[in-house]
Amino acid sequence: MGYFKEFFSGIYNLLLGLKTTAKYLPERAVTLQYPKEKWPMPERSRGIVVLLSDPDTGELNCTACLLCQKACPVAAITITQAKNETTNKRYPKTFEVNNTICCFCGLCEEACNFDAIKLTGLYEFATFDKESLIFQKEKLQELGRNVKYEKKRKSVAKKPAAKSETTETKPQSAAPSDPPKGEEA
Amino acid sequence: MTDVTKNIQLSEEEFLLNMGPQHPSTHGVLRLVLKLRGEFIEDLTPHVGYLHRSIEKIAENRTYAQFMPFTDRIDYCASMPCNLAWALAVEKLAGIEVPPRAQYLRVLMTELNRIASHLIYLGVMSLDLGAFTPFLYTFREREWILDLFEMTCGQRLTYNYMRIGGVSRDLPPEFYQSCKNFTKVFLKKVDEYEALFTYNPIFLTRTKDIGILPIAVGLEYGASGPTIRGSGHNWDLRKVEPYSSYEKFDFNVPLGTKGDVWDRYMVRVQEMRESCKIINQALDGLPEGEIKAKVPGVFKPPAGEVISRIEAPRGEMGYYLVSDGSTKPYRVKIRTASYGNLQVLRYLSRGWKIADLVAIFGSLDVVLPEVDR
Ligand code: SF4
Ligand code: SF4
Repeated sequence: MGYFKEFFSGIYNLLLGLKTTAKYLPERAVTLQYPKEKWPMPERSRGIVVLLSDPDTGELNCTACLLCQKACPVAAITITQAKNETTNKRYPKTFEVNNTICCFCGLCEEACNFDAIKLTGLYEFATFDKESLIFQKEKLQELGRNVKYEKKRKSVAKKPAAKSETTETKPQSAAPSDPPKGEEA
Repeated sequence: MTDVTKNIQLSEEEFLLNMGPQHPSTHGVLRLVLKLRGEFIEDLTPHVGYLHRSIEKIAENRTYAQFMPFTDRIDYCASMPCNLAWALAVEKLAGIEVPPRAQYLRVLMTELNRIASHLIYLGVMSLDLGAFTPFLYTFREREWILDLFEMTCGQRLTYNYMRIGGVSRDLPPEFYQSCKNFTKVFLKKVDEYEALFTYNPIFLTRTKDIGILPIAVGLEYGASGPTIRGSGHNWDLRKVEPYSSYEKFDFNVPLGTKGDVWDRYMVRVQEMRESCKIINQALDGLPEGEIKAKVPGVFKPPAGEVISRIEAPRGEMGYYLVSDGSTKPYRVKIRTASYGNLQVLRYLSRGWKIADLVAIFGSLDVVLPEVDR
C-alpha cells in the first residue's frame, strides 16, 4: 500500500514540476543572435575609455592635469604633458590607456574636472595581438568623437536642486561634490 | 604522494580521492582530499588558496578610494556588500556622516544583490543535484537585477558603486518603475521555484536530514549567515547591530529548525522574499538630498583602527582596518563569511556519501574567491 502511495505521490510531484516547465514551452526563445542583433548598452555603461573633444573646435578637452593618472588604481593611464607656446595652455603630448590592465572602474572619469575622459559602452575590441590593446591618444580621440556627454563643470557649479520625485532624478546629479584640488596635480 | 597526502594514515579498505581543484561542483577551485571507505566519507580536508590574489596586500598600496574596485573582486556574486563594508570601515575611521539618501540607496542595492546572490545559490545547487531547468529560471531573474545594476552604475558584476561617504551615482529615471515591476514579478517567481523544489520528493530525499549542523558546532567553527540561521540561531547583523539605517526597515529573519540542507535552502528562499519587502520599503521611503558626503580630494583619515561588519548574503563580512594617518591603509584584514562556512564542511560530511557531499557543499553557498581573497 505504502509503495503505491509513494509511487503516485512521486508522479504527482513530477507533474507539478513539469507544469511549470510546460508553461514556458509555447513562449518565444529569448536568445539574442549576437552578431546580427545587438543589445543596446545603457547610457552609463562602463566599457572602453575614450577621450572627449570639444564639439565646436574638435580639440581635446584634456588639460593634462594628471588627475586621472593619479586616480587610476591599476596605473593604466600614462600621460606626458606639454605646453602650447602660443596659447600657454597645457595639453597631453601622449596619452596612453592600457586596456589589458584597465578594470573599467570609472575612477578616472570621476577624477577629471574637464569632461575630458569618459567610459563608454563601446565593445568589440577583441584582437589577436596584446599590443594593439594599448590605445594611444589619436585612437582614443577617434573613439570619443561621437560620444555624447553632459557638461560636468556646469552641474558642479549649480547646486543640485532637491528633486520632488524619485523617477525624475537626473543622472548627472552624481557629479562628484568634492572636486580634487588642483594644486595636487 | 604529495605533501598534502603524506601524513594521512590509511587502513586496508580506505583510499584517498582528490575532488577538485577543477571539479564542477566545487564552485570554483577548491581541492578536497577525501578519505573514503567505499563510497562513504571517513574524513575530508579542504585545501584552499588556488584563487589567492593577495587583495589584503594590494590594499596597503592603494589609497582608500582606489581600493574600492578591488573589493568588488572579493565576492563576485555579491559585490555590493563588499563595497558597503569597506565604505563603512573607512567612514567609521574618519567619522564621516553619510546622507540618508545614500544610506537608503546602499540598502536598496545590497538587498538586490542579496537576491541575485541567493539566485545563484539556488540555480547552482539545483545543478549540483542534477536539475538543470531551475538553473535557467533563476539566472533569468538574476539577469533583470543585473540590468538594474547596469543602468545605475554601468557594470553588471564589478559595480564599484559605493564611495567613501556615499554612493557614486543617483538612480536613473527609469529605475523606479523597473525595480517595482521586478519585485512584483519576482515574488511570483519565488512561488514557481518553490513548486519546482520545496516539496519535490527527489529534492526532499537529497536534502532532508542530510548534513545537520548543530548551533554549537556552527558557532565554534565561525559559521554565519544562512548557514547558522538554518540551524535556528537567530543572529542577523541587520537586526542585532543595524548599519546603514537598517533599523528603519521592517523585515523578518527567517530561521530553520533542524539545520539540514533543506533548512538552509528554505532560509534562503524566505530571505529573498524578505529582501523584496526591504527593496519596496527603500524605494517608497527614499529620502531626498545629497548622495555623497563631502570628502576631501586627498583623503587622510586619522590614525587608528576600526572593525566594520555587515550581513552579506553569505554571512558576516567585515574589514579590520589599521591606519597610520597617511593616504593609504597600513593594514587591512578581510573577514569573509565563506571561509567560516567552509570550515564546517568537514564536520558535516563525515559519514555521508560523495553525492551527499555535493549537496552539503552546495548548501553552504561557498564562493571560492571570497575564501582565498
Ligand atoms: S583628469 Fe581629465 S584633464 Fe586631467 S589629464 Fe586626465 S583626462 Fe586630462
Ligand atoms: S577605468 Fe579605472 S582602471 Fe581604467 S583607466 Fe580609468 S581609472 Fe584606470
